[in-house]
Amino acid sequence: MSYSDKVIDHYNNPRNVGSLDKSSNDVGTGLVGAPECGDVMKLQIRVNRDTNVIEEAKFKTFGCGSAIASSSLATEWVKGKTVDEAMAIKNMDIVKELSLPPVKIHCSVLAEDAIRAAIGDWKKKQETAKPVAVEAQ
Amino acid sequence: MAAKPAPAETQPCWSCGSMGAAHFCEACGRVQPPAALDYFAFFGWPRKLNIDVAALDKDFYQLSRKLHPDLNARAGGQEQEWSLEQSSMLNDAHRTLKDPVQRTQYLLKLEGVEVEEQSKSATEQARATGQMKKQIVPPDLLEEVFELNLQLEELRLQKKMGEDDPALSEEVGRRKLELEEKHEALLEELKKVWASWDAWIDRGDGEQAVAQDERKHALDKMVDVLNRRNYIRNLVRDVSAALES
Repeated sequence: MSYSDKVIDHYNNPRNVGSLDKSSNDVGTGLVGAPECGDVMKLQIRVNRDTNVIEEAKFKTFGCGSAIASSSLATEWVKGKTVDEAMAIKNMDIVKELSLPPVKIHCSVLAEDAIRAAIGDWKKKQETAKPVAVEAQ
Repeated sequence: MAAKPAPAETQPCWSCGSMGAAHFCEACGRVQPPAALDYFAFFGWPRKLNIDVAALDKDFYQLSRKLHPDLNARAGGQEQEWSLEQSSMLNDAHRTLKDPVQRTQYLLKLEGVEVEEQSKSATEQARATGQMKKQIVPPDLLEEVFELNLQLEELRLQKKMGEDDPALSEEVGRRKLELEEKHEALLEELKKVWASWDAWIDRGDGEQAVAQDERKHALDKMVDVLNRRNYIRNLVRDVSAALES
């Protein structure tokens, strides 16, 4: 099986590798894994609390080229989107963009899971941080 | 448990017509055409997971003596061909059922459980409902895997630069041992799930239908344990490779 040019590009020049401060209140962290292949993916977002826009996204993935490319692409895509817009990203969008073969679809599923997990973590922090501010928008 | 024909699939012997023939005729001993049986049924056993491996071996040797193509060499083309097919299936069935993990995976396949498909549909469900997807791998294990991978990366980099940090190698080696223990413990956990699966099989036809959630619970739990075990196995493999490189 050969990787598509886009996968190779993301693999050789991964975007947004790194980490954000996990304990920070405006950072959401998603850590997910795929038992089929042993991949593990961490995706973090920093969200502007006034606009709900994701201003920064970082990832670190241990896994195959497709998993790295999927998470690299995911960080590119979520940046500049609101939290709700980012929730609408589907794994098949990633499959199409990267031309992933069927055996690598689970890598894109993992990336979607990572986005959702990161947003879920951020949302949880917002609920506990300002329980009465929900109606203030 | 002695070798016996699978009751449900028994046809009369093609040669002497007596009943009670599965792999070979009990009356005249002639090899029978292979039937489409699963591996459990091949041995005439119910689909239970806690099997007596000594009995399995005994049945295997008994059957393989009778079905061996060399012994049926004089029997004529058709019968020899059947015996070849039967022997080959016997070998696959024995190898698969003897290994506890392969046996469980085989049962899951028979029961229509597609492991990878499950993860995908769980994501789709999370997307549709807006709920968080329940991760197959528990968060603390994921944290551990992530941390260990970071250490492995560091270790590989050091080795590449010709440096050596004995403390790091030792730390990674220690964690490898812990993982191997976890790997063993998960096999014991798997065996506990077998008991609830076997209990469901023992309920018999009438009661099985009303206890569908018991069946599903046992199958889900097996998938869960196998997934975690695979994860750890892959990790141990990566750790070994990094330490030896």
